[in-house]
Amino acid sequence: MTVQADWRWQRVALAGMRAALSFPAWMVGFGLVGIGSLARDVGYPVEVAVLSTILVWAGPSQVIFFASIAAGAAWSAIAIAIAFASLRFLPMTVAILPLLRKPGQGLGTQLILAHYVAVTGWAEGLRRLPAIPPVQRVVYFIAFCQTCMTVSAIGTFAGYYLLGALPVALAAGLLCLTPIFFLTSLVAGSRDLRDGLAIALGLAFAPISDRFIGGGFDLIVSGLVGGTIAFVVGHRRVARP
Amino acid sequence: MTQPIPWLDGPLWPYLALILFAFLPTEIWRWLAVALSRRIDPDSAVLDWVRAVATALLAGVVAKLIIAPPGVLGVAPLWLRVGALGVTLAIILIWRRRIVVAVLAGEAALMGGIWALS
Repeated sequence: MTVQADWRWQRVALAGMRAALSFPAWMVGFGLVGIGSLARDVGYPVEVAVLSTILVWAGPSQVIFFASIAAGAAWSAIAIAIAFASLRFLPMTVAILPLLRKPGQGLGTQLILAHYVAVTGWAEGLRRLPAIPPVQRVVYFIAFCQTCMTVSAIGTFAGYYLLGALPVALAAGLLCLTPIFFLTSLVAGSRDLRDGLAIALGLAFAPISDRFIGGGFDLIVSGLVGGTIAFVVGHRRVARP
Repeated sequence: MTQPIPWLDGPLWPYLALILFAFLPTEIWRWLAVALSRRIDPDSAVLDWVRAVATALLAGVVAKLIIAPPGVLGVAPLWLRVGALGVTLAIILIWRRRIVVAVLAGEAALMGGIWALS
């Protein structure tokens, strides 16, 4: 059942919530359970762990924050590492906002929409939104992402108290959910040669630049190089089949 | 352990640290994107390029989390972490819609491997 243009907003919101609860929300929620345990390891209160999920809303940034404090990194180094790891949100948000644009949309609405941009909402949004009537997209997207965020906040809270009590294999499995789910979302959402190539090159270049480029610039360089190659090759294929 | 900045230290320090050193460095890119996206045509080639860079960057984050694992994930040897990711990748490449199966199979491979090795 696809969202119709004449639905009331409540029904659209319910569709978004159901889509999130069908799997993605649980995925992110379980993925952020690990954050709770990392926050507890550095002696920060549970409120900070849960707030990090709501305010930062980016698994890798949260991992870097708590793991770096545990390792004794300088505050400036922590902020710079997080800024570089989060640079991906610039192209991601620029890519998804046009799908959510409505005439007369205010700056406040756009800032709220942008805050929800993280891997799940982004990958699922690019996949699902084009099939949804433009007037319904904003409500659907917010309902979908807010459901993911609520489940994740509960997961972070639970992880703060529970993760240390879990068997090692299970705790490791929870921490590995983020990379496994990121990759699955990317591949499931890829539509053409360009997307596939971008994924493959990103995977291949990251370990290489990790080795040869220091100072936290490695991810940006591998993303720019891999993405640009994928774009050029994909563009040529489309232009001259 | 990183110590609080002395003149800002207090009971609210963890909240302040979260906002200054985690929230702002992440959120700034989302705000910047809002400022930029108003001037970009949705159907332009620039946006295609931007999407390709975002995709490659995310794939890079995946690779990095596998090479330099956080916390207790380090108990799994590199070959096992790469192998679990390979299982997931193989399944999602064969059945595009089987997201749940792919994730669970990768997780099962990883946790089964750790259990068998310990």
